[in-house]
Amino acid sequence: MRTKGFFVLTVLLAIACKPPTPAEQMDTIVSWVSTARMVGDAWLRHTTPDKYTSQTLQQADQMLLQTGSELLKSLPPAIDSAAFDRALTSTRFNISEMSRFVEAKDASRFRQPWDSVLIYMKVMKDYSDKVESSR
Amino acid sequence: MKKILQLALGIITSVGGFLEVGSVTTAAQAGALFGYRLLWSILLGTLCLIFLVEMSGRLAAVSKHTVVDAMRERFGFPFFFIVLVGIVLVAFMVLVAELGGIGFGIQILTGVGFPWWAVPVSLLVWLLMWKGTFSLIENGASLLGLVTLSFLVAALRLHPDWSGVTSAFLPSMPSGDKAKYGFLTVSILGASISPYLMYFYSSGAVEDEWDRTYIPINRFIAGFGMIFGGVLSMAVLVVSALALQPKGIQVDTFPQAALMMTTALPRWGFYLFAFSMIFACFGAALEVSLAIAYFFSQGFGWSWSEDLEPSKNSRFAFIYTVIILLAAIPLVFGIDPIKVTMMSMALTSFTLPLAIVPFLLLMNDPIYLGKYRNGWISNSVVSIVVVISFVLALISIPLEIMGG
Amino acid sequence: MNLVRDVLDKKLIDREECEMGRVSGLLMHVGETSQPRITHILIGGPTLWSRIHPVFGRMSAALAKLWGPSRTGAVRIPWSRVETVGREVKLDVEAKETGALDWEIWFAKHVIERIPGGGSEEEE
Repeated sequence: MRTKGFFVLTVLLAIACKPPTPAEQMDTIVSWVSTARMVGDAWLRHTTPDKYTSQTLQQADQMLLQTGSELLKSLPPAIDSAAFDRALTSTRFNISEMSRFVEAKDASRFRQPWDSVLIYMKVMKDYSDKVESSR
Repeated sequence: MKKILQLALGIITSVGGFLEVGSVTTAAQAGALFGYRLLWSILLGTLCLIFLVEMSGRLAAVSKHTVVDAMRERFGFPFFFIVLVGIVLVAFMVLVAELGGIGFGIQILTGVGFPWWAVPVSLLVWLLMWKGTFSLIENGASLLGLVTLSFLVAALRLHPDWSGVTSAFLPSMPSGDKAKYGFLTVSILGASISPYLMYFYSSGAVEDEWDRTYIPINRFIAGFGMIFGGVLSMAVLVVSALALQPKGIQVDTFPQAALMMTTALPRWGFYLFAFSMIFACFGAALEVSLAIAYFFSQGFGWSWSEDLEPSKNSRFAFIYTVIILLAAIPLVFGIDPIKVTMMSMALTSFTLPLAIVPFLLLMNDPIYLGKYRNGWISNSVVSIVVVISFVLALISIPLEIMGG
Repeated sequence: MNLVRDVLDKKLIDREECEMGRVSGLLMHVGETSQPRITHILIGGPTLWSRIHPVFGRMSAALAKLWGPSRTGAVRIPWSRVETVGREVKLDVEAKETGALDWEIWFAKHVIERIPGGGSEEEE
């Protein structure tokens, strides 16, 4: 019983401490950009509450900041990290604009950053493929 | 006539009570990451569960003992105590996850964070146990849980590729992250084969004074109820596979999971998801709390009827009061319910042998079951699945570390 | 009769079909010339916990001194009071008089009834 408990504890600690690979980090980034796009779509169709939408967008922004800054330290050399950084920053800017317009309940102004996020979604997918293939 | 009503009720309660935070989270993650590929593990887990639930009902009907009664009497106190510690620790984690699931459902509706809901929600769960009767809890919670049928509706509306779905009923290795796949398999098995369901079911059968004439009904309830429930879990996976995977959205958080229903059911999907989580997790929180309290009470020989008022089974009431309030604490401090969920499901798989091996021995004991002992099919199915779950858990929990 | 299989850990029922816990242990008299025979059924925490390890039995007894119903030693029911041994062990006693339900009553009075809604119907 005691050894099982110790084993479980070690495992739990290890899971908490294990760092993700660059490919996994790119997957997380793509996932959150897509999430922002999808929640924006749902909000425009009046199917999600304002608070949930803006909180999810803010969380997306946070996750992109967090994951992005870690990823920049370990990007494969084949990828231009300055360009990637610019793309990620623009993505984050558009997502936080989306959040701002949700809080202001301004659907018409919301569309523009939302459309931009679609473009950046494709950009991030490209980066993800590049990271994947340089493994 | 009474038996037919009970049969209908039994099936409805199984369906309404099947989904909970573990089955939804694991199925959502599986669909988002691996498409249909993990359907086989839901199938396998559900199959094993059908046998286990049928067995626990049969034990109650023939021997008039609950699973825990029989375990204490057959194996003695020291062994019972070991099982108690293992099962209760994991069940407690599951309870924390369920309360977190309710909190998250309310969070996405209101925008107020789940830590604020932890105490009110746990008080509400407690109040229902304090004031309610067994039938009120069982039937009420499960009827509300029928809102989870919306997942099935959503899955059908997305027009899944049926040949892809059926071919996923056979296990296959993925091209992607194998360690994650293994960990998800283990978590899905743990989510489907929850031991606390056995304790809860056999206690209900004893409270309802089942006898041998209930054996056929028991088979129907276990069979149809769990099959339908398993279908709901599969529906969650399919919806996630069709709504989230093509977009590359991983289900790392609950708010992301909530989006899955907005594709198939644009107008109401989001709200149906929220209410599904709230009602399903509520029912599960009640069941797990009761199962833990039953474990203590039946094992130690205290009175434990839910239909009696608290002062008439004071130690039983004390146990569920304490655990429900304790379970709120980690949530108040902001522990991530998704992480607790995934880990509690994997640990359930890991501790399955502790719950199932003594149970299988009991089911083959002529003193308790006479001629109603297990046949070779029941024994084989359960043994094989438990071995698979345990071995996979042993390998993949550490692999989750390496694989990420 | 196989004591371990048939008696130990079984549920106890009193004269009025009232449940009164489980058999925690058995007291046996081992005489020099006579066969060992059971003299008493034991009910109680320290007896039970000692079956895992004597240390736990002592801890249980120590805790019981600090709070809980005041009682020294395990509840002993003379073997002569056993009526039948079957699915349960039926005793010719009244549960409340034996002290087997002391803890249940203590919890009801000191914990449960202090919580709103926990009081018994007779009081309301």
